[in-house]
Amino acid sequence: MEFVTTGYSGYSVKYSPFVNDRLAVATSANFGLVGNGRLYILGLTAHGIVLAKQYDTQDAIYDTAWSELNENQVVAGCGDGSVKLFDLTTGNNSPVQNWREHAREVYATSWNLVTKDTIATSSWDGTIKLWSPERPSSLLTLPTHSCTYSAAFSPHSPSIISSATSDSHIRVFDLRTPASASNHLVQLIPIHGAAPVPGSTFVANRPPPTQPAEALTHDWNKYRDTVIAVAGVDTVIRTFDLRNPRQPMVQLRGHEYAVRRLAWSPHVSDCLISGSYDMSVKLWTDGTVAGSYGAHPNLRSPRELGSMEAHTEFACGVDWCLFGAEGWVASTSWDSRVLVWDVRSVMRPHSYSQN
Amino acid sequence: MAATQRLSSVLAHLNPLSESTGRANVLQKNPDDIVITYAARTPLTKAKKGALKDTPIDDLLIALLTIVRERSNLDPSLVEDVCLGNVLAPGQGYMARSSVLAAGYPVTTAASVANRFCSSGLLAIQQIANQIIAGSIEVGIAVGAESMSTCPDDGAPVLSTKVTEHPLAGQNLQPMGQTSENVAEQFGITREMQDAFAARSFQRAERSQKEGWSKDEIVPITVSVKGKDGEVKEVLADRDDGVRYGTTKESLGKIRAAFPQWKPSATTGGNASQITDGAAAVLLMKRSKAEELGQKILGKFVAATIIGLEPRIMGIGPSYAIPKILSKTSLKVEDVDVFEINEAFASMAVYCVEKLGLDPEKVNPRGGAIAFGHPLGCTGARQVVTALSELRRQNKRIAVTSMCVGTGMGMAGVFVSEH
Repeated sequence: MEFVTTGYSGYSVKYSPFVNDRLAVATSANFGLVGNGRLYILGLTAHGIVLAKQYDTQDAIYDTAWSELNENQVVAGCGDGSVKLFDLTTGNNSPVQNWREHAREVYATSWNLVTKDTIATSSWDGTIKLWSPERPSSLLTLPTHSCTYSAAFSPHSPSIISSATSDSHIRVFDLRTPASASNHLVQLIPIHGAAPVPGSTFVANRPPPTQPAEALTHDWNKYRDTVIAVAGVDTVIRTFDLRNPRQPMVQLRGHEYAVRRLAWSPHVSDCLISGSYDMSVKLWTDGTVAGSYGAHPNLRSPRELGSMEAHTEFACGVDWCLFGAEGWVASTSWDSRVLVWDVRSVMRPHSYSQN
Repeated sequence: MAATQRLSSVLAHLNPLSESTGRANVLQKNPDDIVITYAARTPLTKAKKGALKDTPIDDLLIALLTIVRERSNLDPSLVEDVCLGNVLAPGQGYMARSSVLAAGYPVTTAASVANRFCSSGLLAIQQIANQIIAGSIEVGIAVGAESMSTCPDDGAPVLSTKVTEHPLAGQNLQPMGQTSENVAEQFGITREMQDAFAARSFQRAERSQKEGWSKDEIVPITVSVKGKDGEVKEVLADRDDGVRYGTTKESLGKIRAAFPQWKPSATTGGNASQITDGAAAVLLMKRSKAEELGQKILGKFVAATIIGLEPRIMGIGPSYAIPKILSKTSLKVEDVDVFEINEAFASMAVYCVEKLGLDPEKVNPRGGAIAFGHPLGCTGARQVVTALSELRRQNKRIAVTSMCVGTGMGMAGVFVSEH
């Protein structure tokens, strides 16, 4: 299924966590470089995708997140630094909250999945901010000192927030720790490889395992509470286990350009999808599901399971549907199209782990 | 303003492959780099015929090490170890240490031997570099030397039946010429391709010699030569004598097969490396040490590696070793300015250049072992001396040197010129 966001390039798409037929799509005119933004609320019907509502903003919209508490509320992160909370039940098009604290483009919005009462946003201004839908100003600011393209609540804990930044690091913040000079930062993980420690056999002439590159996106595994996947400009998707993050567990290679967005499956613990500047949306397994391949033990390795090549511009937004048959996803792209499709339609033979 | 910043941000996302971070990394200058502050080689002369034919390995070593001592502008007592790359000389250990002492180094200067056939010279460089990296020594000399006139190559010794009956180890009984024919046969490298490659090697060496490109790599040495009448004369060896001027593909095409017993019999005396005498040396230390001593830095050793393959096609070792060292250094083929690949046989050289997709103009720009010889233990060090000189001439930076190794191996190294 397809919906055309005429004149607006897609940056992010999210399925409603309450119903299986509603999508929010963050889009921007002129590829998000200059001009307005528009938030589309779309309905999935037997007759295709239909427009339910749309909200126009003064500047580009780069990300959106549904409320986990109120099925009619959705938040948008905007190019002018504002964070807007819209309520579908109000008659007019103005937001119910319009927070103006970030100094630069807001690139990520995440709703707390456990207590469901807070929102995290991250911005090019080098901060992550926490908001309550009820309050007019932010609850907390977490500095990353680096352009923060991605921020997310852990799906397993209400007080753990992570980020992926242009300085090639994953940061993990734990709000339970007391406020101090570290600003709740509990882990700083170099994606490109750990620095040498004195006394190790590290040789100066040996280059580091990989070069640092801007990280653009990351996501928490929905089943394993210590596993994060992260990707960015160097095209490689890496998974880290927070218990031992000195090096990635898995490196998934296949995208030709930067990976813009990735999302772990809500149904299958080893699968994730990724959208890239190479215009493809790819399905991967990190190779951790053993046994379900039956007679194909050598198929268990981490690898690409399939690739959806229908987008004709940068594929910026991807999301899994939480409901119904596993495998339904939505993707959006600078080609002004929202596509809803089943990953099983692009998988190679023998590649899927489930029956 | 905002739009420009957003655009440049998106453009930066699209840039993962455009800037070669590997190259930038390799060209960095850090105090703990292993640098080369002196590099030189003797002329290479034909075994049994050339100026070095009556110079035993120790005299050859003494001559070159004396030059290093005199011209490197370094207090010889700072040299802690000399590693000799050599394949054929009996009593190598005696030769190495004795020559060091006789060349005027103090009693504190140690010596050792590195032998991995044709990669011995590069292995010697790696051994010295590794010792410096590990902090075992601060200053060392790597030297590769071979006197094939006085120590002929007799091939494999008698080996256990456990070796000879082993499917892989048994392949080590095959003479090198046979491995060349194996490569030609298995990968379809024709006689014409081999002769064309060999002719180009001769033509490049001729040009290099006529235009004096090698002047800053070769140090002339005075040696004793026995004439036909038995009279011993002192002569100055100052040039490679294997380069036959005016060589063409057609003239090489007339030479008869060297190994008619092994198909496709495409290898000849004209498209295989010559049997030659010669020596080459490089002086190594950390950059911090070189700066402390006021030594002029010629270039740096970046990395080296080794890989094994089937002995029966040992010639294609560089086609494995070069990708391995490039991946270790995050370099791409295009990042490399000069490849010095030993021309053991034209068969393997043609295969490696094509397999790796190398620009032929970058491979052995001064010709190679087909044109001026392959003194086994010397070659690995000789190629580094040549590569640094060629990078200076072209005003380029990065060289990869590689060679196939008998018994089925390939070695490769990365060097940077800092002229």
